[in-house]
Amino acid sequence: MELKEKLVSSFLAFENKVEVDIDSTVHDIRSKAFSDFESKGFPTKKDEEWKYTSLNAILKHDYNVFPKSEETLAYKDVKKYFVNETDCYNLVFIDGKFSSFLSETTHDGLDICVMSSALTKPKYKMVIDAYFNKLAGEKNSLSDLNTAFSHEGAYINIPKNKVVPKPIQIINFSTGNEQEILIQPRNLVIVGENAHVQIIERHQSLTSNTTLTNSVTEVFVNKRGIVDVYKMQNDVETASLIDSTFVSQQRDSVGSVHTFSFGGKLTRNNLEFYQNGEHCVSHMNGISILNGKQHVDNHTLVEHKAPNCESHEMYKGIYDGNSTGVFNGKVIVEQAAQKINAYQQNNNVVVSDKASVNSKPQLEIFADDVKCSHGCTIGQLDESALFYMQQRGIPKKEAKALLMYAFSNDALKDVKIPELKTKINEIIAKKLDVKIGFDL
Amino acid sequence: MSKYTEDDLKKELETQEYEYGFYTDIESETFPIGLNEDVIRAISKKKNEPEWMTEWRLDAFRIWEQMEEPEWANVRYEKPDFQAISYYSAPKKADPNKTLDDVDPELLEMYKKLGISVDEQKKLQGVAVDIVVDSVSVATTFKKTLAEKGIIFMPISEAIQEHPELVKKYMGTVVPKTDNFYAALNSAVFTDGSFCYIPKGVKCPMELSTYFRINEGGTGQFERTLLIADESSYVSYLEGCTAPARDENQLHAAVVELIALDDAEIKYSTVQNWFPGDKEGSGGVYNFVTKRGICETNAKISWTQVETGSAVTWKYPSCILKGNNSVGEFYSIAVTNNYQQADTGTKMIHIGKNTKSTIISKGISAGKSQNSYRGLVQINSRAANARNFSQCDSLLMGDQCGAHTFPYIEAKNSTAQVEHEATTSKIGEDQLFYCNQRGIDTEKAIALIVNGFSKDVLNKLPMEFAVEAQKLLEISLEGSVG
Amino acid sequence: MLKIENLQARIEDKEILKGLNIEVKAGEVHAIMGPNGAGKSTMASVIAGKEEYEVTGGSIELNGEDISELAPEERAHAGVFLSFQYPVEIPGVTVTNFIKSSINESRKAQGLEELPAKDLLKKIREKSELLEIDRKFLSRSLNEGFSGGEKKRNEIFQMAMLEPKLAILDETDSGLDIDALRIVANGVNKLKSKDNAVIVITHYQRLLDYIVPDFVHVLHDGKIVKSGTKELALELEEKGYDWIKEELNA
Repeated sequence: MELKEKLVSSFLAFENKVEVDIDSTVHDIRSKAFSDFESKGFPTKKDEEWKYTSLNAILKHDYNVFPKSEETLAYKDVKKYFVNETDCYNLVFIDGKFSSFLSETTHDGLDICVMSSALTKPKYKMVIDAYFNKLAGEKNSLSDLNTAFSHEGAYINIPKNKVVPKPIQIINFSTGNEQEILIQPRNLVIVGENAHVQIIERHQSLTSNTTLTNSVTEVFVNKRGIVDVYKMQNDVETASLIDSTFVSQQRDSVGSVHTFSFGGKLTRNNLEFYQNGEHCVSHMNGISILNGKQHVDNHTLVEHKAPNCESHEMYKGIYDGNSTGVFNGKVIVEQAAQKINAYQQNNNVVVSDKASVNSKPQLEIFADDVKCSHGCTIGQLDESALFYMQQRGIPKKEAKALLMYAFSNDALKDVKIPELKTKINEIIAKKLDVKIGFDL
Repeated sequence: MSKYTEDDLKKELETQEYEYGFYTDIESETFPIGLNEDVIRAISKKKNEPEWMTEWRLDAFRIWEQMEEPEWANVRYEKPDFQAISYYSAPKKADPNKTLDDVDPELLEMYKKLGISVDEQKKLQGVAVDIVVDSVSVATTFKKTLAEKGIIFMPISEAIQEHPELVKKYMGTVVPKTDNFYAALNSAVFTDGSFCYIPKGVKCPMELSTYFRINEGGTGQFERTLLIADESSYVSYLEGCTAPARDENQLHAAVVELIALDDAEIKYSTVQNWFPGDKEGSGGVYNFVTKRGICETNAKISWTQVETGSAVTWKYPSCILKGNNSVGEFYSIAVTNNYQQADTGTKMIHIGKNTKSTIISKGISAGKSQNSYRGLVQINSRAANARNFSQCDSLLMGDQCGAHTFPYIEAKNSTAQVEHEATTSKIGEDQLFYCNQRGIDTEKAIALIVNGFSKDVLNKLPMEFAVEAQKLLEISLEGSVG
Repeated sequence: MLKIENLQARIEDKEILKGLNIEVKAGEVHAIMGPNGAGKSTMASVIAGKEEYEVTGGSIELNGEDISELAPEERAHAGVFLSFQYPVEIPGVTVTNFIKSSINESRKAQGLEELPAKDLLKKIREKSELLEIDRKFLSRSLNEGFSGGEKKRNEIFQMAMLEPKLAILDETDSGLDIDALRIVANGVNKLKSKDNAVIVITHYQRLLDYIVPDFVHVLHDGKIVKSGTKELALELEEKGYDWIKEELNA
């Protein structure tokens, strides 16, 4: 494969180019990851996990792996992509490079900064040794590829008992300066004992030049820690995203990841939760609203390794145009994990004749004292409800939109940042091409 | 305290012997082990088959040689050595033309042990039986009664001779030789099985039944069933399976093809009780079966299965809903205990408009067993107004076993309505205490709860089979409960 | 009939019954009242033999025989019936099938033949009329999707079918509207005889208007701290439980 060959030759150049690591640890991890990627290659539809998603179309581009120039952007031009009425810490990357101008970092009692420093500065060495690639290692060939080229991204380390006072916003812009670009952000989030943090993540292309983002985020939640991650995906139709997020939880912690997929050509979300201690709670919510030729594949995994834990999963999908949607959810309950409650819901509405949905909700249970359930539905909007609303004077389009709102609302109710919720509502309204004068 | 605990039950389950694990000493004629084109020619010759059949087999063999044994199922086992199996074993005294009176008394004794009575009793119950021991059919009852209605019910080996046009027209149309590894193998080496044809407009007046048994050691059983329900006809077909307890694993790779033409209905019920292996997990039957039916316009196929046996099961009775308004149903109970492994489920392929399918699957795992449901619901783009409802429930007993659910749902039509629900739970302590308080001991309480759990499926079986199935369920899980 | 002496029981490490004494004679109705957490439901569960509770001292005698070592079903066979506060659902098992198993298991334990289907059906008809139970109800799965009232009525229906010597009604009035309460109480009253006994566990006096007790006991902190007649119940309803606590502390 051409892209693969290009990556092979780029890897050596990359290794030479990045700042010299303090010792060989990170170098070894990258080399190992690269050889893993080389032997596995890009996944194909023959892989069970890629049965419904083909990468062929997006791999045939001649991606530039190293963007040439550092681009600056004026805040006023990109303001609309920020959650800006709420005060936030911002980590902004332009074509894969950190933009200090648009960012607000801190080292005041907590670290909100960039991976490139964390990977090279001695003071972070202990943390990097303890956490870096501990979750993403040997998971899939795309995370291996990211690890091999890991260099830049967000580094967030919240110490014990710290409640981060405002959300952290991570935004990756691609400017279109390159004809075709491959960006590989690498994020590391460590939530200390009893600490609490909210993170918003977004990838945005500013032109219609082809962008492929292969992002990896590792999240470690220590005892009693709480983390909420919101992933906003509303990119242009020439941008594709492969996101792999791994969350490891210690006892009494709560981890939530919300994935909102509204735009982009191909979006693949790999989301994996590992519960390592008792009384962990994990939430996975997702809303996909697609049209055109969009494709979204939500792949989730929850591994219950300890007793008395819970997981709640709810994914809603609305598919219009020629869009295709995939939901693949797997819940594994290991033998030691007794008294587990695991719930998985996937509800889909197919609006157009050309759209399609594939759903694969799986349970693998090795413990006996468990309560697990999954449900999956594929259907249409309720015709009688539509008629009822029309009879009361609501035009069909608005009535439909209203029903879709109602349908997806379950997965929206846990969004704890009001401004973000409003923004999502606006995007949904725009997507459905209606004006709705109220919040849900 | 004389309390019957789950541990006691587990102990009892372990010591529960396989009731049908006897070996009947019948003189058999068995081929030497091994598989090659000569063996296939020999099988074909033994059966006096016409040239086209021999070629068909050879073609399948060549396809099979190119294929690899599948590994995607959620089962672990030592791959059979296909060159260490004898592909033909026939009780020597068997003669397809003889009547029941001529049947080897030892065989009849065996049937009695199996609990199947090939006698007047069955006539009263209106069941016609074809019995396949090891590789050949030994007796088909009530041929005459059926012939009066124009119904053909005979061993497939005879059908190849007597009704070649029907066999030629339909065999391999639902499960092609190329379908999968085991189906290709079966197509090459099948030695017998049942053939059934219900003419236009005929409602088969009695249940048709086939009983399969592997008797000889070191043999594989590869039976082939072909059932054709012509327009507006109806048939209910029962299939039962047993094998004696042996140390080595026996291979069973059957193919069943159902063809339901316009407005026809086929009800196909299976009670599978192949030897599951002993409590250490040694021995037992590898049951790798391909079952599939095709429905033309307004036709209906209903699969019901109660699976309690086999060491390893790999089986997905499926429906291709080709005709408009056709209906597919799958009702299944799969019980696994000790070291048994089952990967079973169904495929519902919706092609025609207004097609409907229902899947009810109940898995019960005990001991150290692994029980998986694997199912596909596919709504094709032309299948307007297709409907599917699936319910997959798992019940766990003990903390050494596993229950897994792998549903695949693919919808390519905006008018599709698909609903899938699955639950996994255990028998609750509070349920047991409630039953105890009403004077029902724990063992009986478990039987009651398991029966309640399985009821939706048991209800779908023909009456007399339901009783047998219920008994089997209790035997596989409880032992003395009656 | 029932004689409990110095009964002590705990769940895990928590002592709940701390020396309970009570004697119930045939033909009597006893009411057990008390504040939340006094140990009322524990007492019922311990008499019925629930495993989670460990009996650490004392004795439970039924008709002169110690039953404290018996399994729950053996106690049931001996004539103990507990009407559950929260009856359990058993999917797929109909009310009729459940009753049938229940009756025949008890008969088996007593060395009797199974009850012929004809007699069973007759009895079911009789008793379901007594409790104003719709026949369709009998073919539904046990307690599955039943309303609170239906569950409780079903408990008393089973009691009617099993004809126990000692019936313990644990908060049978909770969740019942006034009509359902009347039906249930009426059923209990009709089943009462000089040969059996009833223990009514309740929070409120209301049920006792219908099922009139011969004795009323107040359970507090794992012990019976006060006993009296029907009037005691009225007094409790009026004044609450605090005055008893004060009396105890005085």
